[in-house]
Amino acid sequence: MSVAMKSAVDDGVIEELRGILGDPDRVLPGLAARVNRTRVPAPFPVHRWAEHMPDVAVLPTTAEQVSEVVKLANRLRIPIVPRAGGTGLSDGAVPLRGGICVDCKLMNQIKEIDLTDRTVTVGTGINMLKLNEELKRHGVMYPDDPASYPCSIVGGRIGTGGWSLLGARYGHTRDLVISMQVVLPTGDIIEVGEGGGRKLRHSSTAFNLKQLFTGHQGTLGIATEATLELVPRAEAEFAAFFAFEDYMSAYRTTGALTRSGLATIAGVVLFDEWKLRYLRRDDEAYIPQPESVRAVVAAAMYGARCEVEPASRRVMEIGRSDGGKYLGDEISQGDWASRHDRYATPLHGRLRDGTVAPMSWHCEDAALNYSVLPKVREEWHAIVERYIGEYGIFDDWGMFAYTSGAYKPWGDYLVEIDVGIWEQKLDDENWAAWVRCKREIAEVSLKYGGSITACHGATREGDAELVPTEMGSAWGVVKTIKRALDPNNVMNPGKQSLDEAYES
Amino acid sequence: MSVFRLGEQRPPEPRRVNDDVVMRFDGVYEVEPSKMRVFAQQDMPAWDTHRIVESRWEHLDWMHDHFADEVLSTGLESETGVGH
Repeated sequence: MSVAMKSAVDDGVIEELRGILGDPDRVLPGLAARVNRTRVPAPFPVHRWAEHMPDVAVLPTTAEQVSEVVKLANRLRIPIVPRAGGTGLSDGAVPLRGGICVDCKLMNQIKEIDLTDRTVTVGTGINMLKLNEELKRHGVMYPDDPASYPCSIVGGRIGTGGWSLLGARYGHTRDLVISMQVVLPTGDIIEVGEGGGRKLRHSSTAFNLKQLFTGHQGTLGIATEATLELVPRAEAEFAAFFAFEDYMSAYRTTGALTRSGLATIAGVVLFDEWKLRYLRRDDEAYIPQPESVRAVVAAAMYGARCEVEPASRRVMEIGRSDGGKYLGDEISQGDWASRHDRYATPLHGRLRDGTVAPMSWHCEDAALNYSVLPKVREEWHAIVERYIGEYGIFDDWGMFAYTSGAYKPWGDYLVEIDVGIWEQKLDDENWAAWVRCKREIAEVSLKYGGSITACHGATREGDAELVPTEMGSAWGVVKTIKRALDPNNVMNPGKQSLDEAYES
Repeated sequence: MSVFRLGEQRPPEPRRVNDDVVMRFDGVYEVEPSKMRVFAQQDMPAWDTHRIVESRWEHLDWMHDHFADEVLSTGLESETGVGH
């Protein structure tokens, strides 16, 4: 079998792409365009930048253009790497074998706002913030709210199966996309939703293909249009942050808040001791806090004022019921607002002696049940501590646990350990050490019955090789699907160990 | 045309908050200068510090406005003994 293994982009391909796109300005073979579409915000082996550049970037405006580009790639066995906002934290949009980067940002039209059946249909290159600025005048909202809300894009959210800060109230990306148009790895264009309906939330016809085309990390196709959920714009928001003297009190309070039965709870967040140490040295809200503040719990609610206002009083009772102290309106409101926009945070870390060093942000995520959070926290920090001591270019920025269930806050969590990495010091040895560190963290998640990623994707070294282990008996089905849909392995090849699908 | 002169906008000398942090203006923190050896601390005129602090609050208000018509308050200060 001949599969796409390395780039074969030459002048003839560039000319053919210009013919497909119909506009030479939307075919970008220049160095700057390719360099800017190489990495994502996650720490990156900067010493091997050139290995990850696409050979050319294209900016299609229609599904038909995407389809023709993909057909060309199949004919010549050229890798395709879809790219939206490029804000992913696990290299989903990073080319591993060069090829054609399909940048979807120009497919950013709002095509239909249906206030009767409560949907909005968009091109997948649109950003949620810009979409909601338009929707606001209609009193509705598309409530997909990642930490990259101002800069990430609907297509990337679909490709990565995104998680939303407001997911406990409104659902996550996979719950909010009602249907979509997808260009398959062969170039065929299909519509997937619930059964055959474009605006239906539920159907029992045939298979639920919509979920198959959500969260595949660009390995099964490119979404070019999506019909999305509209919810009533919230009249009221309430956020409350509580400080604790020990982690376990905060942990119990987190559980109590999630089991409260308050339907307007959009999210509950638990900050651990390491996170508080990090914030106390470098975050203006926490620098003045006394040493007794060792953990924090945050709860946020959205909805009609007549629901949120009385429920806020219950949140205040629960938040204080196990030793929690309210951190005040200013911190509660300000810190919660900043959760929508973590990518605006300038990043630096500290060396062992407290010296500031420029560090980029690695956010290692996992999906874990409530019951295992205390143990996983101890083991993850022990791993990172070992690598800090040995290599001196890492910094432990602490852990969060965010409620992760759709429409329900209890039971399971998106858990993240933030690690600063001094990228300028990366070489092959240090990068290999970091990959080992990541892998050890992921192995702990599997040991405790979790998943190695809740939303970032298992697409980079340290995670990708564990995907077959996590999928277990279902891995054969995964490989069968990949090979059936992408016979030439052109679609984002090398990710998630899916090359195994092509081994004879 | 106004001309910017750093000398006319030099911030006050820093006060120590703790081993890691100093403060020139109330509630605006800076890293203890001895810990800025890898890259130098920027020489900031007072007006620029104030501009950045103010714009942060504007940004957070703008962010709130994206998600709800109104932000409910308790009217309560911090119970940890630290105002902000």
